[in-house]
Amino acid sequence: MLSTIQPPRCLSRIAVRGRTKSRSLHILSSAQSVTSASLIDHSQILSIRDSLLSRHLSAVQLTHSYLDRLKQTEPQIKSFLHVSDPDKVLKQAHEIDEKIKRNEEVGPLAGVLVAVKDNICTADMPSTGGSRILEGYRPPFDATAVKRLKNLGAIVVGKTNLDEFGMGSTTEASAFKVTANPWDLSRVPGGSSGGSAAAVSARQCVVSLGSDTGGSVRQPASFCGVVGLKPTYGRVSRFGLMAYASSLDVIGCLGSSVADTGILLHAISGHDTLDATSSKREVPDFTSQFTSASSLESRPLEGLRVGLIRETVDGGVDSGVKSAIQSAAAHLEQLGCILKEVSLPSFSLGLPAYYILASSESSSNLSRYDGVRYGSQASSDELNSLYKESRAKGFGPEVKMRILMGTYALSAGYYDAYYKRAQQVRTIIRKSFKAALDENDILISPAAPSAAYKIGEKKNDPLAMYAGDIMTVNVNMAGLPALVLPCGFVEGGAVGLPVGLQIIGAAFDEEKLLKVGHIFEQTLQGYNFVPPLDADGVFA
Amino acid sequence: MGSRALLMFSNFKLKGSFSFASSPSKPFFLINNNPKIRDFSTKTRSSLQPPDVPRLAETARISLATNEVEEFAPKIRQVIDWFGQLQAVDLDSVEPAIRADSEGDQLREDVPERFDNKEALIASVPSYEEPYIKVPKVLNKE
Repeated sequence: MLSTIQPPRCLSRIAVRGRTKSRSLHILSSAQSVTSASLIDHSQILSIRDSLLSRHLSAVQLTHSYLDRLKQTEPQIKSFLHVSDPDKVLKQAHEIDEKIKRNEEVGPLAGVLVAVKDNICTADMPSTGGSRILEGYRPPFDATAVKRLKNLGAIVVGKTNLDEFGMGSTTEASAFKVTANPWDLSRVPGGSSGGSAAAVSARQCVVSLGSDTGGSVRQPASFCGVVGLKPTYGRVSRFGLMAYASSLDVIGCLGSSVADTGILLHAISGHDTLDATSSKREVPDFTSQFTSASSLESRPLEGLRVGLIRETVDGGVDSGVKSAIQSAAAHLEQLGCILKEVSLPSFSLGLPAYYILASSESSSNLSRYDGVRYGSQASSDELNSLYKESRAKGFGPEVKMRILMGTYALSAGYYDAYYKRAQQVRTIIRKSFKAALDENDILISPAAPSAAYKIGEKKNDPLAMYAGDIMTVNVNMAGLPALVLPCGFVEGGAVGLPVGLQIIGAAFDEEKLLKVGHIFEQTLQGYNFVPPLDADGVFA
Repeated sequence: MGSRALLMFSNFKLKGSFSFASSPSKPFFLINNNPKIRDFSTKTRSSLQPPDVPRLAETARISLATNEVEEFAPKIRQVIDWFGQLQAVDLDSVEPAIRADSEGDQLREDVPERFDNKEALIASVPSYEEPYIKVPKVLNKE
């Protein structure tokens, strides 16, 4: 394994919780030695760029090493529904090497291997949305976010597993497979972007795209110990994202560092004429502020007002998670932040309101899957039965239930009682976040009430599963940006299970989130957020 | 572990039952403060008709087997009842928000643009008989 895959800061930080498998670090750093002067330790993307342009590494070598690792770990992790043909991928890498040899310019993401959640359309690969109703479907276009990545030189290495159409928090609702958490293979990676989070965590790719409707990028980031970013609604075009709840959906970014996540966000952000809800607001350069830790002053976040959301650390949250968040808050104070507790009184209403909006909108959005123009078609001699049978066979139980709940909530006479009231709750939540963010620069909370739980634990109890979204849904209701980054561990698995800190910002203020997150990450001592491998190079 | 999160917003029994034990005490999450949120009444949460799952399935154009109806109905009823807690909130003077942003509509010019990958569009159609997308006959039942 090439040492560029393992940023050196991880090598110097030994896990302080549980038993340390220090041998595993050697496995990852064997093979070619690359001069540390050329390595940029807080960003894989920048480190790759540096290595490629300085000719220390070729894109083909880099691609081989990621593909090898993917092949080795995929039987355990199962994060991919489709892996690109290795020959095609290597050909793209070779073209990048040729350009570099000819001293031609290559994009900022040249040679960076990206995994894409399977509800985001990719023209040259199947896109199933995790559903049998789209089994084998090949979209005739790329999602705008994918197109932008490819234009900047990124290589799409495959499509990742998800809960069907984004409806779920574990990947157990995928029609095809359940992804395992690299920290403990008996546990869920989170969802619905579980495959994307696990792929980054297992270092099968550099960064990945996910989608976040109620926490689907942030909760798996927390469960898998990676960084997840949910942009402001409208920051990234939704064209090509299979719609679940159109007023809540966003495409989000996952990476092993805040800098990588920010660079990815910058690549995909910006107005798109194909998405009427995409903002025309200018995209600041998120990437220019990622300085290395050594150049920071002693209290780099002096005066930053941080509000800890009281309702997220009350009863019902795991004590291990609470203490990880409290340590994170203390760390922020050491960096100069002014910490306060903030109350958002309508907080708990957000969860039922969210599920009303999401199931109602999904019942409408999923009506397009009728077996006529694309997807799986059941055989029938009458049109109505064709619809009913195609959908019955193609949709999984969770999707069916949500469509039925949404159909109910939108039925004549019930709109006022449910959908309209949920929209009114949305207004209250927007206002309460705005008020809190007028008083504070950022808000913090856990990303989930617990760390990753066991596969199968919540499968039959829908409300228990929905309850886990309490930390994340309100942010979607308010349309705000949020960053989740690993801040500590709780007991479980071989060396502990990661816990993520959620940082919420004002609309379109991703720059501040990334700045705070980057500084927090670079100054956090004593943690290794790379899941340990054993001597055979597989997960413990 | 996460099931403890249920404590955050509900004080009614959930496991194995879908009828709500109404509780006279204020639910945990209402204790805090907002004066606009009244106590729950002890009547049934929702005075609307409970979900008729077979009828909903017909409306949503999804065939459900009998065992599916039996499996889904209690879970759906449970979630709909849980939705009902919004009835207790005073929302009289609150404007509904269609979505989060306040930027308004960004419409583009109503000018047709060429889509170049028509072959792929047609290749995706399950039953195609050039130039028609083929479907079975429509029976007018209603």
